[in-house]
Amino acid sequence: MRPRGTAALVYQELPRIYWALIALILIGVATGPQFRTLSNLANILDQSAVLAVLALGQAFVIAGGMIDLSVGQLVGLITVVACMMFDAFPGMSLLVIVGCIALAALVGLINGELINRLRMPPLILTFGMLSVLQGCIFVLTDRSVGQVAPAIAFLSNGRVLGVPASLLLVAIVAAAAYYVLQRSVFGWHLLAMGNSADSARKAGLNLFSLTRFAFLVSGLCAGIAGLLVAGRLGTGFPNAGNGLELDAIVAVVLGGTPLKGGRVSVAGILGAVLFLGVLNNLLNLMQVPAFTQIVVKGLIVITATLADRPGRVVRPA
Amino acid sequence: MSTMTDSLWRPTRLPSLEEAAVWIVLAALLLLAGLTSDAFFKLNYLTNLVRQAAPVGITAVGVTFVMLLRGVDLSVGAIVSMSAVACALVMDGKPENLWLGILAASACGALIGLANGILIAHGKVSSFIMTLGMSIVVYGLVQMGTGGTARGIVSPGFRETLNSRIGGVLPVLVICLLVAVSFGVFLQSRTRFGRSAYLIGANPEAARLAGLPVNRVTVIAYIVSGLFAGLGGLALLARTGVSGTNPGAGMEFDVLAAVVLGGATFAGGRGSVGGTFAGVMVLFIALNLANVAGMPFAAQLIIKGLIIIAASAAHSWIGSRSGGRS
Repeated sequence: MRPRGTAALVYQELPRIYWALIALILIGVATGPQFRTLSNLANILDQSAVLAVLALGQAFVIAGGMIDLSVGQLVGLITVVACMMFDAFPGMSLLVIVGCIALAALVGLINGELINRLRMPPLILTFGMLSVLQGCIFVLTDRSVGQVAPAIAFLSNGRVLGVPASLLLVAIVAAAAYYVLQRSVFGWHLLAMGNSADSARKAGLNLFSLTRFAFLVSGLCAGIAGLLVAGRLGTGFPNAGNGLELDAIVAVVLGGTPLKGGRVSVAGILGAVLFLGVLNNLLNLMQVPAFTQIVVKGLIVITATLADRPGRVVRPA
Repeated sequence: MSTMTDSLWRPTRLPSLEEAAVWIVLAALLLLAGLTSDAFFKLNYLTNLVRQAAPVGITAVGVTFVMLLRGVDLSVGAIVSMSAVACALVMDGKPENLWLGILAASACGALIGLANGILIAHGKVSSFIMTLGMSIVVYGLVQMGTGGTARGIVSPGFRETLNSRIGGVLPVLVICLLVAVSFGVFLQSRTRFGRSAYLIGANPEAARLAGLPVNRVTVIAYIVSGLFAGLGGLALLARTGVSGTNPGAGMEFDVLAAVVLGGATFAGGRGSVGGTFAGVMVLFIALNLANVAGMPFAAQLIIKGLIIIAASAAHSWIGSRSGGRS
């Protein structure tokens, strides 16, 4: 617990996933010149933006001891709706962007409100919502539709002074998430709820409003992620969000936030997202067959989970 | 009457309202189904419905034990895929390989369950993320095994037998499901494993202090879950006839929804195999209703989601009336 010098402090405070990330980067640097290029690095960051935003949103829910399985299909819905709207109202990009994010936040709010009022396990409610949202997507379209506004395409793929625009967006979202989760009273209360909902309630915390807000943020982030996906694909693909919810949960857990909540690390989540991005990139550069890549990823999830077991020093944020 | 005798007096134990909740929901849904279409109460239709539910139903029986122990098994969908693929590959269209194929499928399921169980019991890690990782691994292995295309042929007689109806009425798959449920009920209420599972799930620390073999029971629960998923894969293979490359995709969530509808909670110690069976039927009647009403696929997805939410809400509402809170 007592840090001795800067090195010890870094060792203690650095989320464990960073050691894996550093190892992976060293392997990458050692294996080939392709990995070391700046454009490849920017590429990894671009590809990781969607997952980063989605995982940061999921962190709010998981920190409170809950889970949101609906975000993958919410991303798909926003992607489709945004592209249809951009196509229909070319002059009103800003309005469409605001509208899409508001829609996603509303879906999140509905999730939270239903969990409160129906007193249901979040896993089941958001699983039901997953199906409902998927249905909504297919009501709208069963094939790729519309096109994306230039502003959104720039956000996903553009460069500001050589820095990926998506990286700036992720930085803003991450800073906000860090402040709210790890530096504000709200975050403190949310973690208390994750630690023990019963004790938090007895201490006078309003669990209903905590739940509502956590899901609102999760929906909001899914909205932003949906727009980023639209920007990357350039069109509204109905299956764009399939399985993203599980990727986000994996990133949150690899980042050192346990599924039962009560502990959270924004830096850890960013490290985990980067780790997954670099891993993907390396496997592709090394031309590992697609099916083998799947097995490797699964094994890494298992290994990382085992390596980051409870029992290590847990300190309040 | 004095307070003393009051507190000593115990009524004959009826199933609590909480336990009966899922059956009430099931009855209400059946009634609704009957009102929508009079075909619903024809014997052929009902048995067909149960037949469709067999793969999910058989798998859900095993997952019930994991949920009793506060766990969750997300690898069952991938195990179903692996079992179906392995079975078809081993059978290779030859009648003499019939039992070998069935054995291979069951072994695959039990082995993955064993791996899950050891990692979770001794690694003390979240079952959600561990079985999720395992499902990714198993899915990848299945894809490597098939090379991305449907391979393997079932033995002659396999489909014919499992899809036949005894006396022209009762489908063999329905019997398989009922046998699986009965075996599950037996495990749950007549074995030391089943009783330990309830106690450990209700309070693992107390169970450990009382000397119950927590790790062993946990490992067995995941083996049971994997084994039943393997059998569920066989049932699915019998229904479809071709293994495909990922026939069990997404099934883990249908199973999970059914088990929770059946009364299990993520806090463990609650739920039952009987309740799970009712939960499976609630799910499939809901899907069938949407189908019978001739709705397009998109509307069916929405209805499926709403029914899961409504049934679970009704369930927790009835449960809270009886004083329990899930």
